[in-house]
Amino acid sequence: MADSVAVKPRDAVTEPARGGHRSTKRSRREARAAYLFLAPWFAGLLVITIGPIVASLYLSFTDYSLLEEAQWIGWDNYVRMFTEDPRFLNSLWVTTVYVVVSVPMQLAFALALALVLDRGLRGLSFYRSIFYLPSLLGGSVAIAILWRKVFGADGLVNAVLAVFGIQGTGWVAHPDYALGTLILLHVWTFGAPMIIFLAGLRQIPSSYYEAAAVDGAGPLRQFRSITLPLLTPIIFFNLVLELIKSFQSFTQSFIVSNGSGGPADSTLFYTLYLYLQGFRDYDMGYAAAMAWVLMLIIAGLTGVNFLASKYWVFYGDTK
Amino acid sequence: MSSGKRKWSAALLAAALLAVTAACGGGGDGGESAGGTVTLRFSYWGSDARQKMTEEAIAKFEAKNPTIKVEGEFSDFDSYYESLSTKVAASDAPDVIQLEIRALREYADRGTLADLSSSVNAADIDAKLLATGAIDGKQYAIPNGANAFSLMVNPALVESSGQKLPDDTTWTWDDYVDLASKITAGSDGKVTGTQLSWNPAYLEIYAAQKGESFYQGNQLAMSPQTIKEWWAIMQKLIETKGSPDAAKSAEVGATSVDQSLLGTNTGAMGMWWSNQLGAAASASGQNLELLRMPKLEGATTGGMFMQPAMFLAASSKSEHAAEAAKFIDFMINDPEAGEIILSDRGLPANAKVLAAVRDKLPEADQKTLAFLDEVRSELKDPPAAPPKGASAMEDILTRYSEEVMFGRMTPDDAAQKLIAEANASIAG
Amino acid sequence: MATPSRPIPFLFRPFRGGRIVRHALLIGFGLVMLYPLLWMISSSFKPEDLIFRQPGLWPSEVTLENYTDGWTALKHPFGYYLWNSAVVTGLSVIANLVACSLAAYAFARLEFPLKKLWFTLMLGGIMLPYHVTIVPQYIMFSKLDLINTIWPLVMPKVLATDAFFIFLMVQFIRTLPRELDEAAEIDGAGYWRIFIRVVMPLCLPALATTAIFTFIWTWNDFLSQLLYLNNPDNFTVPVALRTFLDASSDSSWGPMFAMSIIALGPIFGFFLAGQKYLIRGISTTGLK
Repeated sequence: MADSVAVKPRDAVTEPARGGHRSTKRSRREARAAYLFLAPWFAGLLVITIGPIVASLYLSFTDYSLLEEAQWIGWDNYVRMFTEDPRFLNSLWVTTVYVVVSVPMQLAFALALALVLDRGLRGLSFYRSIFYLPSLLGGSVAIAILWRKVFGADGLVNAVLAVFGIQGTGWVAHPDYALGTLILLHVWTFGAPMIIFLAGLRQIPSSYYEAAAVDGAGPLRQFRSITLPLLTPIIFFNLVLELIKSFQSFTQSFIVSNGSGGPADSTLFYTLYLYLQGFRDYDMGYAAAMAWVLMLIIAGLTGVNFLASKYWVFYGDTK
Repeated sequence: MSSGKRKWSAALLAAALLAVTAACGGGGDGGESAGGTVTLRFSYWGSDARQKMTEEAIAKFEAKNPTIKVEGEFSDFDSYYESLSTKVAASDAPDVIQLEIRALREYADRGTLADLSSSVNAADIDAKLLATGAIDGKQYAIPNGANAFSLMVNPALVESSGQKLPDDTTWTWDDYVDLASKITAGSDGKVTGTQLSWNPAYLEIYAAQKGESFYQGNQLAMSPQTIKEWWAIMQKLIETKGSPDAAKSAEVGATSVDQSLLGTNTGAMGMWWSNQLGAAASASGQNLELLRMPKLEGATTGGMFMQPAMFLAASSKSEHAAEAAKFIDFMINDPEAGEIILSDRGLPANAKVLAAVRDKLPEADQKTLAFLDEVRSELKDPPAAPPKGASAMEDILTRYSEEVMFGRMTPDDAAQKLIAEANASIAG
Repeated sequence: MATPSRPIPFLFRPFRGGRIVRHALLIGFGLVMLYPLLWMISSSFKPEDLIFRQPGLWPSEVTLENYTDGWTALKHPFGYYLWNSAVVTGLSVIANLVACSLAAYAFARLEFPLKKLWFTLMLGGIMLPYHVTIVPQYIMFSKLDLINTIWPLVMPKVLATDAFFIFLMVQFIRTLPRELDEAAEIDGAGYWRIFIRVVMPLCLPALATTAIFTFIWTWNDFLSQLLYLNNPDNFTVPVALRTFLDASSDSSWGPMFAMSIIALGPIFGFFLAGQKYLIRGISTTGLK
């Protein structure tokens, strides 16, 4: 399960030391303050979040068409998923490939550009805006058309290849390449992590750099010993969230493949398959079971992420 | 801690707010408002043009029935069933529901729809067409427009490629493939003969020519041989360059008719529902014609058929069943509604309405009407609504067809698997 | 990199792997990024029937028809939907900023019982695909009779259900040295004061990020707005935009592109305004 921020690399050192002159009265006061700060969140948890989560867990053990009452069927949905449904396993595979390839690429891209754009270059906000623009379009229906303009049989890529005498294929609708174009689409919308990286870079106190410069550290050294360590919480954030979001990718495949996950299931994302099961085939029970399997996968990965973070993420609040 | 107090009061406020909204809720929704007016909810999909026409028709209905107010609930097609089924799940179903034939049994078989036999007058609708909206003797839905799956052609492109329009009363599948490849060759590849279609209606027509029907109860009724022969037509088209290769076919296949080869004047033929002629013609900007589908050599029937473009149905849970029926009756039978909607929901199914608006139809639809009148006597009976679970059929068909076209499965293997998967889907 | 003190004409500047190359690369890269957008802009000025027939970037005929038609094509002028969207989005931004930063401060800086459990629950909430939670959620709001009000869209934000932003701010707050809080505490500041006076001002980049993303994602959010605001009088921009398209018959691509471009305006403007706050939080001294 996901570890919490309460555990951080240096807690072991700091906690006992602070605990020493920390009265119970004080910690009670602190806890009370914390719960006050969290009051809206608790209300949200109770009123909005928990209900649907519990409901979906219950529904995953039922046969539920949305149009009739749900019927309890025990583990049937889960059993069917792993024993009778090759498309389920295929969608899991497609999604895993998509996540494993596109998330590191997108983050590396976003970080690199954030570093470039963090420098004192003229017209920074202009570039930043331009690079962010694709992310504004990411979920728009127009993207499907635009992507065919670029990767279609008569698209831009093939026009460029033709200059070199290479005859391209219709990348966007070829079972071997369609997923690749969706990965590129994901990388193309790197704006959100880029902005978060940029904000993270801005958070690093410039006094650190000044001190390092006085000590004679060059740019590379500064990057390695100041920028990178201090950015790790943000890198960690982007990694965790992009993993969660990418496993749930839906819109891109939905609009580019016209809701089918085609050609030949090559872009059948997990959540797209889940959606088709729930809303086209009226099998919401099965969709809910799929959602919980995905939830367990994501939670497991996130947990591993949090455990691993102890070894590489550096928090400024640990003195 | 004043800050703490402030926070507490904020939390209390939020809680109070929830309590109040909860207290206000729970009343009957969409119910009667002041003055004894009844509010009906009508859910439909479509384009901006349809939204305008529908709002106009609703206004006319409200003027005629001052005690009924109709609220349109509009959605685009892609999200239509998602939002509709969510509303039904929440016992919040709209009173009047627009449906297509694929979804009819999903809703009717699950008790969502009301029987309209006695409440809506359907005397002026072709009985066989009307029957497609009936299940086990109950009229769950009234067709409000009709369609036939047919072949569209751009005569100018055929001629500029040095070919002639076929005689569609006699042409065979071989003639079709042959013409398509000659168009591609004759135009030096600038125009492609045709584009592939994986519409179940196409296969249904082909199967009918072989004397088979698509469904029989909750089973596919076609033989694997039929499906394989059908694929062979498309494989031959790809081979002879009468259609684009598998990848480009899959690409254009995922687009709407206005982005199709025919719609962009890069293809000379294609198969769609007849009410899409207008969209195709306005996209291409050229004159397009409808043709009969090609036939198998020696087939006794062309296999083409009429199908309701869409239905109007009423929720079985509606508290205003009488008013809902009245609205459906108006939309289908009233010439005044017909004059507003024209052919937007397919050519009017009501013969009297059709006669009244005939001359006002857009040019493309007049052409469609003329075509349908010409072939009407050759058509087979409209097939019954497909079984529950058949919504997935188009997807299944497309998927296995693409597996075959890309050479990733043998036709034998694919046909077996297709039948198995389709049967599992419609039985379950 | 040393810059020449005397201005040298652009073309004659020494080619030193420096700025010019960097700018050239950035611009070239930017064009690649922007190609689809440029195509969309150019399409919005083409006569509608030419959009797919003349796929090139440069329109052979230019018309404003798509804009004038698109603006008036629906039940209300398009500005009406822009206003609806602005209301939903504006409220969401404010709600998210307040609610998420409160929760984030508690998770990042305070110790309290069951903290791990709550934090896990918070992240767990975004791990379920929304397609399965949207039905129970809709049923809930429908029972509360809140369909066709903005509550189902805004209330989740008021109640800090967006774990993305809480986690984001937690991470940002945790990059801040704790000495700052402690110094304030010694000065007699309570938690509220530390939150308002110390932590928040230093989190300006995180707040700006939250505001920008909340704005963009709410502005573009389609499905929940379609479900909860399905009366044409309540439509927001994403819902209105979809009505131009109809997979089953005639789509109005031209007006759709034109109105999409117009709808990009507010988000882009908000982005430009918001990114100004992506400034150095602690410049040289952290605290006075």
